[in-house]
Parts: sequence; structure tokens; C-alpha cells
Amino acid sequence: MAQEPTSSEQICGAAAWIIREGMKITAHSALCVFKRQPRGENEWFMNRPVSKTHGAAAWIIVELYNGQMQEHHLLQMLSGIIQWINPPDAVSTAIECGKSESEMLDGCRALLSIATITTPMMFDKLLKSLSPFGTLSLLSTLTCEVVKARVANTTEEETWSYVARDILLDTWTALLVPTVSGRNDALPPEGIHAAAIVFNMIVECELKAASASVFDDEDNSDYQASISAMDQRLSSYALIARAAIDVTVPLLTRLFSERLALLHQGRGTTNPTGTLEELYSLLLITGHVLADEGEGETPLIPEALQAHFVDIVEAEKHPVVVLSCSIIRFAEQSIDPEMRASIFSPRLMEAVIWFLARWSNTYLMPFESRRGNNCISGPDHESQHRSQLSRKALIGFCGEHNQGKLVLDIIVRISMTTLISYPGEKDLQALTCYQLLTVLVRRRNLCVHLVTLDSWRNLANAFANERSLFSLTAPHQRSLAETLARSAIGMGNTEAANQHVRDLVGHMTAYLVDISSKDDLTTVAQQPDAILSVSCLLERLRGAARASQPRTWKAIYEMGFSVMNPLLTLLEIYKHESAVVYLILKFVVNWVDGQISFLEAKDTAVVVNFCMRLLQLYSSHNIGKISLSLSSRLLNEAKTEKYKDLRALLQLLTNLCSKDLVDFSSDSCEAENTDIAQVIYLGLHIVMPLISVDLLKYPKLRHDYFALLSHMFEVYPEKVAQLNAEAFAHLLGTLDYGIHHQASWQVASKDMLHAAKIADTEVVNMCLRALNALASYHYKERGAGKEGLGSHAAGLKDLNGNLQEGVLSRFLKSLLQLLLFEDYSTELVSSAADALLPLILCEQGLYQAIFLNYCSELDKLI
Amino acid sequence: MSDEEHHFESKADAGASKTYPQQAGTIRKNGHIVIKGRPCKVVEVSTSKTGKHGHAKCHFVAIDIFNGKKLEDIVPSSHNCDVPHVNRTDYQLIDISEDGFVSLLTENGNTKDDLRLPTDDNLLTQIKDGFGEGKDLVVTVMTAMGEEQICALKDIGPK
Repeated sequence: MAQEPTSSEQICGAAAWIIREGMKITAHSALCVFKRQPRGENEWFMNRPVSKTHGAAAWIIVELYNGQMQEHHLLQMLSGIIQWINPPDAVSTAIECGKSESEMLDGCRALLSIATITTPMMFDKLLKSLSPFGTLSLLSTLTCEVVKARVANTTEEETWSYVARDILLDTWTALLVPTVSGRNDALPPEGIHAAAIVFNMIVECELKAASASVFDDEDNSDYQASISAMDQRLSSYALIARAAIDVTVPLLTRLFSERLALLHQGRGTTNPTGTLEELYSLLLITGHVLADEGEGETPLIPEALQAHFVDIVEAEKHPVVVLSCSIIRFAEQSIDPEMRASIFSPRLMEAVIWFLARWSNTYLMPFESRRGNNCISGPDHESQHRSQLSRKALIGFCGEHNQGKLVLDIIVRISMTTLISYPGEKDLQALTCYQLLTVLVRRRNLCVHLVTLDSWRNLANAFANERSLFSLTAPHQRSLAETLARSAIGMGNTEAANQHVRDLVGHMTAYLVDISSKDDLTTVAQQPDAILSVSCLLERLRGAARASQPRTWKAIYEMGFSVMNPLLTLLEIYKHESAVVYLILKFVVNWVDGQISFLEAKDTAVVVNFCMRLLQLYSSHNIGKISLSLSSRLLNEAKTEKYKDLRALLQLLTNLCSKDLVDFSSDSCEAENTDIAQVIYLGLHIVMPLISVDLLKYPKLRHDYFALLSHMFEVYPEKVAQLNAEAFAHLLGTLDYGIHHQASWQVASKDMLHAAKIADTEVVNMCLRALNALASYHYKERGAGKEGLGSHAAGLKDLNGNLQEGVLSRFLKSLLQLLLFEDYSTELVSSAADALLPLILCEQGLYQAIFLNYCSELDKLI
Repeated sequence: MSDEEHHFESKADAGASKTYPQQAGTIRKNGHIVIKGRPCKVVEVSTSKTGKHGHAKCHFVAIDIFNGKKLEDIVPSSHNCDVPHVNRTDYQLIDISEDGFVSLLTENGNTKDDLRLPTDDNLLTQIKDGFGEGKDLVVTVMTAMGEEQICALKDIGPK
């Protein structure tokens, strides 16, 4: 029988022994070993030349795992691994000389494990029982060594320093990431100092790496990939910087102005590429330090930035303000052509735009009332009051009543510059359109000021009345149209907002109306310049349509209404130009989506009629059409184009559907209302012949089609009954296909295969729900003495006089076949059961017959 | 935009503008481009830079619309490329001659007899079978830079 140990040291001694014996398990694993091995079953312990006391000791660690124990245990763990990482410079040198890095990496991992369960204070305190400095200082020195080693490594391979850096950055993140209140996140003063040292070294090494990288071969990775790949690392840097903000923000300001001075001095004489790349790095780091991403929400100014600098109550002296302003003033110089040519390379400009987008989202005209005025009382009143003033200064320096409008104007002019003066720079222009300008129109208070700016009016005017912005690639024009239309929310009243939109889109509709009425249209339409113009305008229309809001829907409705007939003409003319056809379809989809809920009955009828004509026209061009080409690649592309068109058509029908669900119109006269269900079924009828089984293999198309079908069956089963036999048979045929068909997947990875199978299951689920709806409808109707599905269910004689079985009996057999004899996911059991019940109730006789048959078959086997 | 902007000169004469200059950055996937004098359809576009702080260039991968060969080109984004004028016209198929020509009915009632059938077996079979079954076929003829070829078939007869 094991004796109880006499002191906690012995308990922890067992742990330390394991580690010191070097059992080739990481420290973390050792911890797990202890947690896993229950008392008495510890053969491994028992067989070692260790007393049974230690075995029991291990068990006691688990049972008595309280705070003090934890601290002791962690301390022992730390002391076990300390030689692997201390002193950092010696360790680093040894590895560079050939020693294995595995112990060092394990030591880093141990630090990470400890960091995830301790507060910064606790973490720092641990090492102090063993040495004069705290754990944070060690972490700091270690990180510096690793970062230095990484920069010194000039090979392409990922060496130990890459791995170690990531582990150590994760450690800093674990310690510094703000947690839910209840945990003390504060750093001890030496910890703040440690963070400052690390940040200093990190930035120094990033700058070294930046200027060295200019001699790399061409940057093959595209811009977006590189910033997002770096994002996690940059976020860690930001946390470290914010821990020592008093030091790190002025550091960034100094480094920034030093590089600027270098650039100005060297203008015309030295190659600035190295400095430009350093500035690129600095902008990325600064952008992360000063502001957060704020996915989907407006991000607040980080708390660390607001809370420090309590003694600074004048905005222009606040280090964050100083840094922000120096960057904005630098960015503004890009408006000057000479400066632009010598300093603002496309890549640097990309960093500038990215920075402005991130920064503006937080600092530009923030809601000033966000931070409530906390009621302060007590002896801290004075310092808390100063702290409040300091916060207010920071929050307000770019507010609506201070520099906000000025800075907004600068940003707009810089944006315009990137769109006009950087021809062909798609990545840069993408950043401007998708990231920066969208931020400016995201909030109403910004829009209110935007629409009063000359620079914004210039942009809108250039867009509407000049050719310059036509050289942007079409999707960017779409985004620009959407942004300009959205800014209308800043107008004072609804009429002004609508007029703003009309002024914007007037040129688009005028052009399309005009070109579609030309006599020689057929001849000129296929010329490349005509195709380009038409494409750009369609994209612009799409953008405007997507900006539809309650305030401006009227103007956007008028826009679409005025081009209805021209679009049908263009669809006919461009029937062979798949790119243009697709744009027409997508425009209509977007336009209907934004409008349908607001339309009165009369207008709804107009829109629906237009959509049906569109569908008919598209169908007539494409039904039975076979592409011929020597190139299988081109044939595949043609197939993809067809598939995308069909998805758009299904989206259109789905959008029309929503009229029955969300209707803001004020009409109360039911009689005038369009029968949406009828329309959808008609639409499906038109589209169906275009959807081959082959195309249904495309997962997204499959999903869209069956989602629509099952929605229709569930919401309007009575309409199904009214379909003619051919249409009915066709729709139900696809339902049968959807239930049974398991696509054969050729995908690149196991993950994709898994995702594909999930998508498949979802489709089958939808089909089963549709079946359930249909069968339930029939059962209930029959129960009430009505027709239900009528002859579709009863079976009818076909042309040859043969009796075709009814749809429900067919599906009962089909579903039983699936459930009893085919493979299917367990996720489907519930919906299959739901579908089976009404089918059985409707076809009780058949069900009995089937099972009697099965039983007799079984009897024969036995 | 003024009226002049809407006025496209009708370039109906053969050989008149077979190509049109367009900024490389505006050419997208599924658009057309001329590479090595051949009219092609773009299947891939990617951008990179000439040196880290240099200007953008576009890498086009395209397929010759007539012979199906893959061609590539790298062009600075701000430079102009040639985009071919690709014309597609529908004709009703009247007859297939023994010596491999098709007889087509134009919109104004004339016949066009100078178009050869494709030599590729697969394509040939599709056309001949369709025609042989007595279907009413409409063929789409694609013309670009002096060449022409049937690029699509459509059965317009009653089902």
C-alpha cells in the first residue's frame, strides 16, 4: 500500500524527476501523463526504480490541483525545461552550430502551455524563485534571439527560428489578449519593459527583412494573400506594442519620419526601393497597432490606446494622433504628380490605402457618445477626470466637429488619385474600391459629410460624365457605382437622395436606351469597343441596383424600368456573347432583389412580366444549343457559363418568391396582386429544359434548384396539383433524381469530399421535405373531401392507354428502396421518416402489399 | 455623355477593323485577345509586378478560338492589347455537300456556300448526324480576323 507523501515538494519532485530523466516527452505531455494515470494502475511508474510513493504522489497532484499546487507544479515544470531555453543567446548559437533544436522548441512550447493558464503577473512571478529576473524578461530575450536568428537566415527553408517565432508570438498573444473581465490582465512594470524591448527588436528585424527582400525574385504572391497570411503575426505584434504603448507608439513615429527623411534626401539620386519596402512594413505594423479589424462591427479605438497617455489632454500632443497625422500627411503627398512618380510606387500605395481603410474605420468621425461618461467619485476623481479628458481628445480629434471633414476630404482625393493616375494597377484599385471607399459610406454620419465635399462631387461627376473611370476594370466600376449610390443616405431628405441616384445613373440608362434603338445595332454590337462599353455600363447598373435602400428604391426602380426593353433587345443581340448575357441576367437578379419588397401591385406585375419575357428569351436562345469546339477547355468554359446563367435564373425566381414573404407595399386590394406562385412555376417550367442532369452535378446549381423546388412544394403545394401532366412529371422526375443521386465526386482533398457529401445530404434533405409537403397536402385535402393532387396521385392513362402509376405510390416505393437497400447518411433519417409517414397514410394498400412481399421473400430465404 | 460617344462607326467592310486596342488591365476572363496574331478566348488572368515596387503586368492564358491551341502572353497592365472583333451569325443549314462544304441560308434569302465543314471527326459527326436525322438545324458561324468556323448548333425543329 502506498504511503502518503509528507510534503508538497515530494509531489512535485515526482513531476520534476520525470522531466529531468528526459523521457522524450514534452513537458506538456508530462502534465498530461500525470492527469491520465489513475492511482494504482500505474504500471509504468511501478516498474521504474522509483518508490510507489511517487506514483501515489502523481495521483495526489491530480486530486489536489488547486492554485498553490498549480503554481508549484508550473515552477517545477519551468525549472525542468529552463536549460533548454536559457541563456537564449547561448542556446541560439548552439543550434546554429549544429545542435538539435528540438529541446529548445519543446521549451518554447512549455512556455506557451504555461501562458495559456496563467495571468501575466503569475507568469512573470514563476521564474523569480529561480533567478533574479522574471519569466517575461526571459520570454523577451528569447523572442529577440529567435527573431534575430530568423532575419539572419537567408535560405528559403523554414528553419527552427520560423517555428520558434510562431510559438513565442502565440505565447505573447496568450498572455496579452484582453480577456473577459474577472482576470487581472495587467503586466508588472518589468513586463511592460520586456514587451517594449521585444517590439523594438521585432520592428528592427522586420525592417531589415524588408529592405533585404527587394533583391528577391519577383513577388509572385498576390498582395491580398501576403497581408492576410501575415495578419496573425501582425496581430501578435500589435498586442505586444499595445502592452508598452508609451514607448512603442513614439518608436513607430520616429522610425516613420526617419524613413521619410531618407526618401526626401535621396530623391533622384539613390534607389529608394529598400526604403519603400521598409515603409510598406511600417504601415502594415502601424495599421495593426492603431486599429482592429472589427469584423462586421465598427471597431472601437483599442482600449490600451485610450487608457494610456492619461496626462495628455491636448489632441495634437497625443502620440497616437501625432503618428496618425504624420502618416496621413505623408499619404496626402501622393496627390502631387512629382512625388507620386518618385516615391509612391503601386506597392507602397497599396499599403497606404490599406492603412487608411483600417484606420478610418476606427478613427474617422467615430460616434462620440460611444464611451459613456462614467460617474466618477472618490479620491481618484482628479486622475480619472484627466483620463476622461485624454480619451475624449483621442476619440474626438478626427470627429465631425474637428479635423474629421478635412481628413475625409484628403482620403477622397487620395482615392481618386489611385483610380485615375495608376492605370492598370488592379490590385491597388481593388483596395480603394472594395476596402477604403466602402468604409467611407458604411455609416450615415460619414455620408452626411461626404456629399457636401467638392472632392466627392468631383468623383461622382467623373464617374457619371467623363471617360476616365471607364478604364477601370468592370467589377471595380460596379463597386464604385454601389458606393456612390450608397452615399445618398447622407442626403437631407428622400427627394434629394433619389435625385442623387438619378444623377448618378442617368448616363447609364441613356446610353443603353440609345444603343438599343440604333438601326445598325447588329453590325456594331459585336465590335469590341461596343462590347466593352455595354459591359461597363451593365456592371455600373448592377452596382447601383445593389445599393437599393428604403430611401432610394424609387430612383432605382425607375432606373431598371427605363432599361427593361433595351435589355431585352440587348439580350437578343448579344445572345452569342456569353459575358454580356451573364451581366444582363445578374443585373436583373440584383435589381429585383432590391426592389421586389417595395413594389405596389401594378409595378410587381410589370416586373414579373419582364422577368418572364427575359426567361423566355434566354430559353429560346439556348435550348438545344450545342457548342462545337476543338478545345475541350473552351467546351468546359461554355458549360460553366451555362451553369452560371442557370444559377442566376434560379436566383431570379427565388428573389421573386420573396414577394410573398416580405411585402412593404401598401396595396390592400388582393385582386390585383400577382399570383407569385404561378409565376414561379411558369418560370421553372421555362428554365427546366435547360437544366440537364449533367449540369445538376454542379453542387451550387443543384443546391439552388432543389432549394427553390422544395420551397415551392412546401409553401404552394396546391399549385403543384394544378400543373399539367408533362410539367408535373418533369418536376417530380427531378425530385426523384435529387433523392437518389449521389454524385461521384472528383475533388482535390478529403476535406472537400467531406464538404461535398454534406452538401449532398442537404440536397436530399430538401427533397425529402418537399416530398413530405406534397404527400401531407394530399392526405389532408383528401381527408377534407377534396381533390388534393387529383389525377397526379390517382394515376392516369398515357398516350398508349397504359395506366401510369400515381406519383405518391411511385415515391413510396422509391423511398422504401432508398431506406432499406441504399446507402444514406444518418442525418437523413429524420426527414425520411417525416416523408414516409404521409406516403404510407396515402397509399396504405400499397404499403401493406410491399411488406407482405418482403416477408414472403424472407420466408423463402430462411 | 454626348452623342458622339454613342456613335460607333459601322465597320461592316471585310478587313476593316479586325482588332481593337484595349487596355490590358480591362481584359477579363472569357473576354477575347489577340496573341501572336491569333484570335483567342481568355481562360485565365493573373497579375504580378515587374519587381516589387514596379508596375503591374497581366499574365493571360488563352485558347485559340479556331484551332484550340493554348497561348500565353504577359503584358504591362497599362499597355494596350489587341482585342479581335469576333462576329457570330446564325444561318440555317440547307445542305452538306460531298466535298465537305456546307450550304447555308442567310437572313436576306441568299445562300452562303463557301464555308468548309470542320475536319475534326467529333465535330463532323455532330453536324452530320444532326443534319442526317432531318432536323432543322441552325448553325452559328464565328468569324474573326479573316477566318471562319462553325461554333454552335441548334435544333429548331418541333420536338
